[in-house]
Amino acid sequence: MRFFITLIAYISFAFSNQYTFLVNKYDKEIELEAKIISNIAKSSMKGKTKLFIPKISDLEKKVYSKYFTLSETCEDSNFIFINKTIDEKQLCNTTDKLFFTNNYKKLIADKKYFGAFFWSKSRPNIVFISKRLKEMNIKLPKNYNQFIEYFNEK
Amino acid sequence: MKNKIFIKNPLYLIILGIIIGIILVSLLYSTDKLQEEIEDKMIEISTVDIFSISQNSAKSIQSLLKQSLNYSEDIKNDIQLQSEIEKKLKILITENIKYAYLLYKDNQGVFRFLADASPPEEKANLNQKFDIANSKWLEIYDKKSPLVIKQKFIHELSLSYITPILYKNNVSLILAIDFSVQKVQNINRIIDLIKKGIFSIIIIIIFFLVVLFIQTIRYLIMQKTAYIDNLTNVYNRNYLQELKDFINLDDYILAALDIDHFKKVNDTYGHDVGDKVLKQFSNIFQDSIRHKDDIIIRYGGEEFIILAKVKKADNISAINVIERLFTNIQENKFYISEKESINMTASIGVNLTPHKSRTFSEAFKLADTALYNAKNNGRNSIEIYDENETNKNNSKMSINEIKLAIEDDRVICYFQKIIDTNSKKISHYEALLRIIDKKGNIILPDKILPVIKGTFILRNITKKVLDICYAELLKDEKIHINININPQDLINESIITILKNYSKINNISNRLGLEIVESEDMINYKKAKNNLLMLKNLGYKIFIDDFGSGYSNFIYLTEIQTDYIKIDGNIIKKIAEDEVSFLVVKNIVNFAKEANIKVIAEYVCDEKIYKKIQSLNIEYSQGYLFSIPSPLNN
Repeated sequence: MRFFITLIAYISFAFSNQYTFLVNKYDKEIELEAKIISNIAKSSMKGKTKLFIPKISDLEKKVYSKYFTLSETCEDSNFIFINKTIDEKQLCNTTDKLFFTNNYKKLIADKKYFGAFFWSKSRPNIVFISKRLKEMNIKLPKNYNQFIEYFNEK
Repeated sequence: MKNKIFIKNPLYLIILGIIIGIILVSLLYSTDKLQEEIEDKMIEISTVDIFSISQNSAKSIQSLLKQSLNYSEDIKNDIQLQSEIEKKLKILITENIKYAYLLYKDNQGVFRFLADASPPEEKANLNQKFDIANSKWLEIYDKKSPLVIKQKFIHELSLSYITPILYKNNVSLILAIDFSVQKVQNINRIIDLIKKGIFSIIIIIIFFLVVLFIQTIRYLIMQKTAYIDNLTNVYNRNYLQELKDFINLDDYILAALDIDHFKKVNDTYGHDVGDKVLKQFSNIFQDSIRHKDDIIIRYGGEEFIILAKVKKADNISAINVIERLFTNIQENKFYISEKESINMTASIGVNLTPHKSRTFSEAFKLADTALYNAKNNGRNSIEIYDENETNKNNSKMSINEIKLAIEDDRVICYFQKIIDTNSKKISHYEALLRIIDKKGNIILPDKILPVIKGTFILRNITKKVLDICYAELLKDEKIHINININPQDLINESIITILKNYSKINNISNRLGLEIVESEDMINYKKAKNNLLMLKNLGYKIFIDDFGSGYSNFIYLTEIQTDYIKIDGNIIKKIAEDEVSFLVVKNIVNFAKEANIKVIAEYVCDEKIYKKIQSLNIEYSQGYLFSIPSPLNN
């Protein structure tokens, strides 16, 4: 009997990927995203990062809390990552906070964002806008240079 | 035999398991390789048409730019051109081709979109930066030919196909399509499943091998316990059973050892002392042998086998072991209590050439034959098995020959007269066993009885002799016949029944005398004593044969209420020359007269002895002086 229990446990373990791969993959994407945002946040600001993600999901909370101190409100945070469609008027639009998005079009359209991390043709892409970095007094390490775009913004 | 080895030795199962494991690991490796090959082949089959179409699209885009001197700048500045290019790209979008887009590389080496056939929510802006995430993309600038780039890190895509659009033999634009080759993924999934299956089997086999390994160790430990004799701490009979099929007889000389008169130690001092003596013997064995080479096995109560290793065909060192062991036994004092000790001896039979025998059992028989000779020659000696000597003695009948003789009715009796010493008239006849062999030779008891001693054949011979004597007694009502009978016969129900039946017929019991041979054994057989008393009550006359030989027989007179004693021939034959023998006989006769027991002198072979017998007033005489054994009608 002990043998059969061991055997069943092993087979369950060996084939676990077959029925949990969706959750695993999804976890991996969020994990990757959280890691990149964490690096960007650490490179962009001094002091402790307090992250606010509007409409944050339970899974995001679980993953992001490994890298950030999460804030319940926009006011309480110093780094805001907007990765969903929200009514942005409800956000606290103060200049002492950094805004980051997961949407390229939003980045181009709204000057409060200093950069974006998004998936383009299923590949991870990072874009920072040079002028906004200067305005917000953000100095990124040199290894971020390849992601900086020098747009002629008015 | 091979199967036996395979089953009995679990190490072979471990080797088999390892071989199966290696085969499965190879299979797993092959499956991995197969997966890669199938993947490449599937990509090739699935994409060959698409690649052609993609290259055609690149050509058609290039034809749109026929007049252009700077492809990227012209596209960026011409909305109409952008729209036409996107239309061509959209043609490429299918179920498997998720994205089709046109890129250029700017002066900083950053890839940027010029056109994108994706739906609006995913469509890239003109000049939007594109992080390629794979340096292989850059190879196209050197190769200037289409490239397939596998994407392993994103599960939605399988590969990208990039086609260069050249301007003045330099790569100016890149047409990229991203595939999602579902079929490849499905096949890979199946192969992956097979891999996992094989991997699982390997794990199960490893698990079984571990279990088997543990069980083997446990088995070996158990085996060791089962093979050691608790009392003497040497190997036991179980080990012999296991060993005899595998032992290489070329490597050993084989000795059979029997402790002399061990039964008497048990009978005299009790079994506890017997065990103590056995332990001391075991200690002597352990001190005498070479532990790494020699093997001692206790295969009976006081019987041991010694396998002494022969090194480089040198028998000497192996024989030395036997001699050392024998000498150590002789020199040792065997303590039966803290202060008291006794001397013990052993008889050893050695087979120096066990390899000449086909099996261990045959080799052992020869050592046992030598042991038998050692015992017959007075014990306390080593006898080496000698083929020639044994052949000489092999005039002894085999058990099969004796059995056949009984079946063929070739068992007969010769009779020797016992006469009244004074009147020389026949008093009795002693029936003596004979067998006629197939060549018509008469075989004497010394070639028959040692072979069948202790077997049921001896009982059958006794019955046969009883039959013959009974028939003779019926034929002639005047004669008295004595038969030889031993204690084992007296506890045999069928022999007792025969004797009971005889007693009911024509006064037979009064004419049939029972000569008890090996009477010293009677003490150990209470039932035999009781039966003998019962037979005496039925009218049979009791004789003690060979009185005066061996140990003191007088004690047996208290155990057996005998009518006659037959004084041993070895004393009688010396009576004329040896004063001591004469005195012994004289005392026996005096005692017998006091006890009202009649005396017969055996071996009266000449006049001198006869006169002495007469002078001692011995009632009866038997010997060659009066008659030699012969058939009764002679």
